[in-house]
Amino acid sequence: MPLNRDVLWYKDAIIYQVHVRAFHDSNGDGIGDFQGLEGKLDYLEELGINAIWLMPFFPSPLRDDGYDIADYNAVHSSYGTLEDFRKFLGSAHDRGIRVIIELVSNHTSDQHPWFQESRSSQDNPRRDWYVWSDTDTRYKGVRIIFLDTETSNWAWDPISKSFYWHRFFSHQPDLNYDNPAVREQMWNVMKFWLEMGVDAFRLDAVPYLVEREGTNCENLPETHDVLKELRRKLDEHFPGRMLLAEANQWPADLRPYFGDGDEFHMAFHFPLMPRMFMGLKLEDRKPITEILQQTPEIPPSCQWSLFLRNHDELTLEMVTDMERDYMYDMYAGSKTMRLNLGIRRRLAPLLDNDRRRIELMNGMLMSLPGTPIIYYGDEIGMGDNINLGDRNGVRTPMQWNGGGNGGFSTAALERLYAHLIEDPVYGYPAVNVLRQKASEHSLLNWMQSIVAVRKSTAVFGRGSIEFLYPANHRILAYVRRLGNEVVLVVNNLSSTAQAVELDLRRYKGNILIEMFGKNIFPRVGDLPYLLTMGPYQFYWFRLRLI
Amino acid sequence: MAEESYLTDDFLRQLMNVGEVDILVGLPTHNNAKTVGSIVHTIQSGILRGFPRERAVIINADGGSRDGTPELVTGVSIDDVRPASNLQALRTLHSISTKYASSPRSASGAFRTILAAAELLRPKACVVMSPESANIQPEWLSKLLRPIFDEGFDLVTPIYRRHKFQGLLITNLLYPMTRALYGLRIREAYSPEFGFSGRLGSQFLGQNVWNDETEGAGVELRFTLAAITGKYRICQSFLGDKDRIERPAIDLVPALRQTAGALFSALEPDFPVWSVVTGSQPATATGSDQEVLLKALRVNRKRLREMFLAGIAELESVFQSILSPSTLAELQSMAHLGEEEFRYPAELWVRTVYEFAASYQKSVISRDHIIQALAPLFRGRMFTFLTENRNVSAGDVEKNIEDLCLEFERLKPYLLQLWKTRE
Repeated sequence: MPLNRDVLWYKDAIIYQVHVRAFHDSNGDGIGDFQGLEGKLDYLEELGINAIWLMPFFPSPLRDDGYDIADYNAVHSSYGTLEDFRKFLGSAHDRGIRVIIELVSNHTSDQHPWFQESRSSQDNPRRDWYVWSDTDTRYKGVRIIFLDTETSNWAWDPISKSFYWHRFFSHQPDLNYDNPAVREQMWNVMKFWLEMGVDAFRLDAVPYLVEREGTNCENLPETHDVLKELRRKLDEHFPGRMLLAEANQWPADLRPYFGDGDEFHMAFHFPLMPRMFMGLKLEDRKPITEILQQTPEIPPSCQWSLFLRNHDELTLEMVTDMERDYMYDMYAGSKTMRLNLGIRRRLAPLLDNDRRRIELMNGMLMSLPGTPIIYYGDEIGMGDNINLGDRNGVRTPMQWNGGGNGGFSTAALERLYAHLIEDPVYGYPAVNVLRQKASEHSLLNWMQSIVAVRKSTAVFGRGSIEFLYPANHRILAYVRRLGNEVVLVVNNLSSTAQAVELDLRRYKGNILIEMFGKNIFPRVGDLPYLLTMGPYQFYWFRLRLI
Repeated sequence: MAEESYLTDDFLRQLMNVGEVDILVGLPTHNNAKTVGSIVHTIQSGILRGFPRERAVIINADGGSRDGTPELVTGVSIDDVRPASNLQALRTLHSISTKYASSPRSASGAFRTILAAAELLRPKACVVMSPESANIQPEWLSKLLRPIFDEGFDLVTPIYRRHKFQGLLITNLLYPMTRALYGLRIREAYSPEFGFSGRLGSQFLGQNVWNDETEGAGVELRFTLAAITGKYRICQSFLGDKDRIERPAIDLVPALRQTAGALFSALEPDFPVWSVVTGSQPATATGSDQEVLLKALRVNRKRLREMFLAGIAELESVFQSILSPSTLAELQSMAHLGEEEFRYPAELWVRTVYEFAASYQKSVISRDHIIQALAPLFRGRMFTFLTENRNVSAGDVEKNIEDLCLEFERLKPYLLQLWKTRE
């Protein structure tokens, strides 16, 4: 299946996020690689996804799982070669699957040659590629993001005897985007991959590119100038490619990252995700409708990116203190589950492995406005290992079958980059692709069907949304509309059966067709439309005036 | 024939939409537009502060207000509370309103509606709030609900800091008599604000108190008595100041129906319980002790005595049916005393009340006439209480109330004797 040529392809995409290291090991060294990933493209095609987001695969000391890049223009030797990547890219495109890669633009590894040169002397031509200072008092008051590990945004460099600025780990010095040479170099990095055929970049940590005294050094106009410049070049030289922003901010602060449709094509909707979990636990739509009401309109060519879980902790930065306390109490009873301002757990354990809740959350993910992202392994309900440090507990090897190493690798156990999940509930003997493929009612097969239904209409990716506010607050209901196509979504957030009356008078005369079973429901009349819903049940109805 | 439902279809639909809750706040109203808006605000603040995570609903049972009270209740938005108080609601806070059957024969309709809602919504804890309390505080909700929520109590009655001359019906009749008969020192057994557990509410809803001859008067007092006789866990919670609500003297008879009437009518079914109780035990209390306020308060004592004298003169034949000859004779002789010498002694007052209670059981005359006949005598007792406590300290006021309580306890055998002669 060739790639479609629609420049708005990302609006219809269903993205699968994967770390090449974790997916499949083709050469038996215990580490996933591009040949292994390529070998599993049939699986992903069958699942129905049409875009892959790869986590960093570049040469790196791997002190932050690859987000500490030491060379932007190569592939980490553990994962294969540039040629392997090229081949994987071609195979993905042959299947109609686009590839999104990471552009960790804010910082490099301290092992990157640029930084090594920069620190080597005050006179080095690359000295000004990073943010140096004689004191650690500049940009006072700027928040520290990795609260559990860092005490300052400045680190002392004993070689050049000065401080360097870092918003994340101290081994990740921030690049200096006030320097035109840095901006030019980053465009060269992008060009390198775009020319190879990469479809999109996820730009990591974009709010922090530029620093200014007296500000919080986040979301500054100068940062937007940098990003707009990159977008202009992208459109000029590579039309149809896409930029996705990682900016963990409130909706109002995120809005400028879309500009007038001239900055990012897409941005993650960070505040929505924890509120979906909150709404589910509270059995109340309020957190979800409230945050979406606060979400500003974005330019027509732009799109939100939605996710339930990813490689990071379930971030609770974009919630109030009271909401954070609630989330911790409800979803992270053990302190070991908490990291920074978040919860380092996968989807299935967060939802107590309750199939109904997992389906409901995926139902909302697939039907709310935006492009959904599935984190690898969540389609089969993989678990996590909270005994592993940092966020490694949610980055364990993919579970392909119940055999040795879960079918991930033929390497000896001790050579695996990480042990597989082995507990009785989530371990690979119980939770694996092979087993779920064989079971008609498995989560994997269900995921496949919801992806197919989602893809059967453009209304979910491109349509407007109008919330209905039935008196029953446990019901989250909305109408998605695109042209003449109208879809009604009704979600029961409650653990108990509910009755709900929907005001559908403006759709009087329409027949409701349930989109999974294609069954016909009664025609809409003058009276409120009564639905009874089982615990955590959801409906997608296509409205047809026949 | 099945009893007709007293909940409307519309109210049931609203309850269905609310679903199961953790906290239910009942708000009975009838033409309370002047105060109800700010009270709902305070209730919402109390919920957000004390129970931000719990599922909560405010149930307004309205008696057919014509001043827009129900609309005010449901129209108050949580968002009005939030900005000023920096409070945040995690979840939807419901306010729903229904009109209860309001006729002279259904004075208890509001409370019954609230209990019925609780039965359907299955809250862990409920609280009834007055629509008239001018000084309600958000903390009152926690004070009335926490003991139920956290400690498993079933009934939480309030203790207020009152003016020494406020609540005389409570201090001179209800508190001492309830205490003497049921053995538990509950200061406000009949209060416009109280908290209760879902299980107590459910048990009481099934009792046959709604359609008896009292027509539901004082049903909240019956509720407290049911909690005592049912051996539910009861505690008292100190709420603070209780603003005095001015009531014209004409309100005394309805007030007596709701207090003395309700208490007297409970004595027969509760006889197996109270007849074996001796002495009294303090009820568990949280918060500060109550104390009376001593500020100057203008009370027309002269008018009270005049009404006593008029009653003695006009109701002699009624009193002859109710009171023993000796008690009546003492009361009549009191009528000849000048204002300075006039005293209605505690011992005589207790005998009077007990004889009224026994006559009420015997139904010597219409029970409502018995209650009406008590009014002038109570005014005489009020005159004495006001006189005796005019210039005394808070401690002395409390001591006088305690002495009266002990008198009620001491003379309880007299009531038992009257009860036996009834048979």
